Amino acid sequence: MMLKTDKIVSHHTETIREYRNSAIRSHKLTVGYPKRIVVSDVELEILPGEFIAVIGPNASGKSTLLKTLAGLLKPLGGVVYLNGREITTWSLRELATKLGVVLTERVNPGLMTAFEVVALGRYSYTGVLARLTRSDREIVLKALESVGARHLAHRSFNELSDGEKQKIMIARALAQEPQLIILDEPTTHLDARNKIEILLLLRRLAREKAITVMVSLHEVELALRLADKLVIVSDGRARVFNNPEEFITGAGVETLYSMNDGISFDDVAYTVEVHDEPKRNVSVFVIAGAGKGALVYRLLKRLGYTIRTGILHENDIDYHIASKLRADIISEKPYQPITDNTYLKALHMATNSHIIIDASPPIGVLNSKNLELVKELRRRHKRIVKVVKEDDTLDDYGEVRCTLSILPRILEEFTK
Amino acid sequence: MAAQPRILMVFTTFLLAQPLIILFSISIGSLAIPFTSVIDVLVGGFRGDDVASTVIWNIRLPRTITAALGGAGLAVAGVMLQVFFRNPLADPYILGIASGSSLFVALAILAGFTFGMVASPYDPYFLFTASFLGAAAVSALIIMLSSVIRSITTLLVAGLMISYLASALTSILQYLADIERVRAFVFWVLGSFAGAKWIHITPMTVAIIAGVVASLFLAKPFNALLLSDDYARSLGVRIRLVRLSAIAITALLTSSVTVVAGPIGFVGLAVPYLARLAIQSSDNRLLIPLSALLGSTVTVAADMAARTLLAPIELPVSAITALFGVPIVIMLLIRRGSL
Repeated sequence: MMLKTDKIVSHHTETIREYRNSAIRSHKLTVGYPKRIVVSDVELEILPGEFIAVIGPNASGKSTLLKTLAGLLKPLGGVVYLNGREITTWSLRELATKLGVVLTERVNPGLMTAFEVVALGRYSYTGVLARLTRSDREIVLKALESVGARHLAHRSFNELSDGEKQKIMIARALAQEPQLIILDEPTTHLDARNKIEILLLLRRLAREKAITVMVSLHEVELALRLADKLVIVSDGRARVFNNPEEFITGAGVETLYSMNDGISFDDVAYTVEVHDEPKRNVSVFVIAGAGKGALVYRLLKRLGYTIRTGILHENDIDYHIASKLRADIISEKPYQPITDNTYLKALHMATNSHIIIDASPPIGVLNSKNLELVKELRRRHKRIVKVVKEDDTLDDYGEVRCTLSILPRILEEFTK
Repeated sequence: MAAQPRILMVFTTFLLAQPLIILFSISIGSLAIPFTSVIDVLVGGFRGDDVASTVIWNIRLPRTITAALGGAGLAVAGVMLQVFFRNPLADPYILGIASGSSLFVALAILAGFTFGMVASPYDPYFLFTASFLGAAAVSALIIMLSSVIRSITTLLVAGLMISYLASALTSILQYLADIERVRAFVFWVLGSFAGAKWIHITPMTVAIIAGVVASLFLAKPFNALLLSDDYARSLGVRIRLVRLSAIAITALLTSSVTVVAGPIGFVGLAVPYLARLAIQSSDNRLLIPLSALLGSTVTVAADMAARTLLAPIELPVSAITALFGVPIVIMLLIRRGSL
């Protein structure tokens, strides 16, 4: 009995210690504006050095939540603890030495140089005239170095690219020497490369400097790939997932963004698929396999053809993509040779299609029936287009060979 | 930091130019007084038996000091409001202070309001009081509004609305008043340092020096405000306090100039531009003192031109500042690019 009580007590003290160690924690937190509650009952606990992505649809309250956690908005209810101390009891000056903020809004600081912008990070450390000491100056330069922007120090901020500007704003937050950086959609104005660069930079800061990073993102696919934890904000709630995979297995993304008929999220490839209804009444049968069909499917989908395909094994990448694009698929069980029954179904479907595309899949023991299928269709004088890498030449069998680039024209020709 | 030699050069130039312009302004006029005599008279103090001494101590010195202080005050108010509203078109009158002054002066001159004083409507001391009451009323209104209104853009619009309202009332008064009084009123509205008297100078000096010094203490938070309110707050700036102080200071600076000299246009808008162009920096710790220096130099020069170009006719100072200033600013903008 004695032992059991001990265990309970030790467990209890451990919980308290953990709370004290958490970088930021919220309890029954309600955020919003005086006349409108945006997100309520938020229970968060973020540990030092964690890289947290906050995702959710537009206007779900990501910004409001982050601004409240950053002390820029007053909570409507509940509490936020920073380092175990209630955030409203921190003075602004103290807060600025613990917590840095990067926002979506574009700033226009006139003729300020990048160095001057980063030096503003020393605001709460400097005196009334903001004179930088030697050590302040070093911290500013180090912050610039951490984001790989030391060479930009004396450039005018307004002349920098959007990606460079965002790096400078992150360096400015770093110059505050914070334990926590909160970023509200920092990648919004950036191109694909810069988005990833900024997120990798943030993750590196979390790993190397043990700075806790909370970042709201619109790029779900990047959040899933990079974040330690996810905070999902939707329908007035914020839920924490201890890893992105946990969120995915809950079939989360499609529900989160209310994706309906036109779009879906691929839980394996982490990509968004578009599959609206076909625009043309022309069906195309694609003989594919081993990824040879993927680009053909995408091309057909985009041009509005009805896609049919076969004969694919269920473990083939083409099968995965075709099913995501809602194609009609003739398939075989994984690692099984194609049965006669499956073959006949494919032959039937192909015969009743307007056009046949041979995507030139590699043929082996298990899928050799595809070769038979091509021969039989040729015998039946079906129109076959063979997609190859080189330019088109008519071969002995009278079939058309073409590259992907002229495939749309050929299809158009055949449809007439 | 790389541009420090340039900054040093600009400051040195204007620190030398300003006293020279002031001396020059004192020396020229209908009675030309050579430089050396000017210095003698200034060092020797007022002597009633000497014409030069009388002209300098009673007319030119108060006028020049008023112009110098007024220019400095307007320019500093302009820098602050441009940062405050994040709007390069902001000038000291954007909050409606001059319109408030004008309205009260219009009430005095045109409608014969005496504000409880026994005085002729043309008495400069009386006009001084009316104008002060107007400026104070609008400043108080704006300060009150700023503690209620959160958004600075809304505040800007509120200031403009107050301006329009005051102007509307003023124009009705003008329309109804007889021509002689309208003339007197228009003369006041054009703005001039001609009426400067020693009795104005002490309170004005105190107000403007206090305002400029106080604004230097706001330079640091103002630099942070260049980013945005939220960013400034996250850096540790107490936004409400800074906003309230900034409005109070600009109201003080603008009112004290307007009360003595009427609305003087252009200085508060253009001098901050010139200062930024000269040192190629947005650092308010440099821009505030430089604008003060530049504003006083420009205004003394403009006042000098206003009273000598077509002597003995005196031109409105605002017309001179605009006529000479606009081409210079446009030329610099074209050469140096945008701000």
